[in-house]
Amino acid sequence: MIDNVITAIDRVAAEHPTRVAYDYEGKQYTYAQLKDGSDRLAGFFAETLPDGQPIIVYGGQTFDMVEVFLGLSKSGHAYIPIDTHSPNERITQVQDVAHAPAVIEVAPLPITVPDVQIIKAPELHDAEQTHEPIHSLQHAVAGDDNYYIIFTSGTTGKPKGVQISHENLLSYVNWNISDFGLQEGVVSMSQPPYSFDLSVMDLYPTLVLGGTLKALPKEVTDNFKDLFATLPKLGLSEWVSTPSFVEIALLDPNFKQENYPNLTHFLFCGEELVNKTAQELITRFPKATVYNTYGPTEATVAVTGMAITQEIVDQYPRLPIGYAKPDTDIFIVDEQGNQVSPDTEGELMIVGPSVSKGYLNNPDKTAKAFFKVGNHRGYRSGDLATMTTDGMIFYRGRTDFQVKLHGYRIELEDVDHNLNQVSYIKQASTVPRYDKDHKVAQLIAFAVAKPNDFDSDMKLTQAVKTELGKMVMEYMIPQRIIYRDQLPLTANGKVDRKALIAEVNH
Amino acid sequence: MADESIKNGVLDILADLTGSDDVKKDLDMNLFETGLLDSMGTVQLLLELQSQYGVDAPVSEFDRKEWDTPNKIIAKVEQAQ
Repeated sequence: MIDNVITAIDRVAAEHPTRVAYDYEGKQYTYAQLKDGSDRLAGFFAETLPDGQPIIVYGGQTFDMVEVFLGLSKSGHAYIPIDTHSPNERITQVQDVAHAPAVIEVAPLPITVPDVQIIKAPELHDAEQTHEPIHSLQHAVAGDDNYYIIFTSGTTGKPKGVQISHENLLSYVNWNISDFGLQEGVVSMSQPPYSFDLSVMDLYPTLVLGGTLKALPKEVTDNFKDLFATLPKLGLSEWVSTPSFVEIALLDPNFKQENYPNLTHFLFCGEELVNKTAQELITRFPKATVYNTYGPTEATVAVTGMAITQEIVDQYPRLPIGYAKPDTDIFIVDEQGNQVSPDTEGELMIVGPSVSKGYLNNPDKTAKAFFKVGNHRGYRSGDLATMTTDGMIFYRGRTDFQVKLHGYRIELEDVDHNLNQVSYIKQASTVPRYDKDHKVAQLIAFAVAKPNDFDSDMKLTQAVKTELGKMVMEYMIPQRIIYRDQLPLTANGKVDRKALIAEVNH
Repeated sequence: MADESIKNGVLDILADLTGSDDVKKDLDMNLFETGLLDSMGTVQLLLELQSQYGVDAPVSEFDRKEWDTPNKIIAKVEQAQ
């Protein structure tokens, strides 16, 4: 158990200064460097940034990002991470909601962000080396102060900023380091981008355990030859990813215990772990334990989990997502909000110390999704689930039109909203096509086009995708666009998305 | 198998995966730079080529540069026959 994330990381630096905290393709950074750099950055931030305001941090999978996050935490600022693979419009959309007074350019911004202080990399490097360190952690992020704010897809084209406090993060980290049997000095993979909250599953548990984060940037994971040349050399003991990513790794027959002798932990979150994948991992990695977890960003990374053993794989064709973490109450309700009897499907509700205070500058959406039970905060997940009498939970789908594609959370209404802004589109409705494991394989948009001069649908689609790509994340762009003269409507006059879903999943 | 049928078959697979018939028009188009293929799309492609043409391309030796256009992919499948 730790009582503070920041001081726990500093304690590692005091006790084991030469231990490697971060390894980027062989370039190593010690805990002493992390402490010294973040202390100096905190001193610099305390002088240059307005007190207590959240700050946007733009960059990729690098040590500097982690050092800036820690520097901001020490100077009392929440950070809003934006990954370098985001479209330009994403930066603008986030800033429109957050009104951050400053953007820290760990990597250079591709666009101009108006009316905001920009801290550029050279200034940052100078401060990290020479600035006077912060005097004390008196003003560091603590208690209910926001530690980070991660933006997720909203339904109206406006992303929602989930505010995660130090108390939220602490509840999550303590569960992660105690219930999954992780050891001090764990060597973990840092693959999910820092703007995706799955990255928190490797970042903070590893750092408070004095372990080493092995960065796996997108440039490496994108090219399989590089990926498979790099993976066995990392010396991993813990693997954290979406199930989709480990499915890529499993394509290589050499991805097995003898080539990864230290690998003892697989932690999955972000989308459904299917039986076949778990079975394959158990067979190939006899020394490892496979953990399945579940949780929305709004309740800090994950709130349920369990080890998926051979017995569990044999017993359940569709795997459970585990049990609620000990400090959290999870229950299932019907449409009237009444608790259902065991094994009955309903909406999964989460009450506990890791539930967020709500969406940044968005009281309407916060009031709709969050509630209070005594002193505890609760969150309506929008996920359908069942629970056994002893508390084992099974995921069953969504109550709304949110989907997960390769671990990324997408509101179909958000895709539609943005598609409707595209100059060639009159109206659009986006639906998921599922594979045989109930996972979303593709997004398909049905669209009514405005009159245009394109001599083929193909050229029209290319133009639509290009325009859409300027507004939304790459994973939100539908793979296919099917043009219709009109879209089917429900009795209420709304686009009949369910009919379209049925059409592509026959 | 005649070359023309391999070519058309591969193009059909690519068109289905990318959701775009462009791949049939410009056989030297870069599938990765245009964003038509991503990692998960690549995985699907390799699985399809293996099941339909018996192409056994070890994923650990999969270098994007050798597979980044429809023409290069067609050549790989022809070589494997």
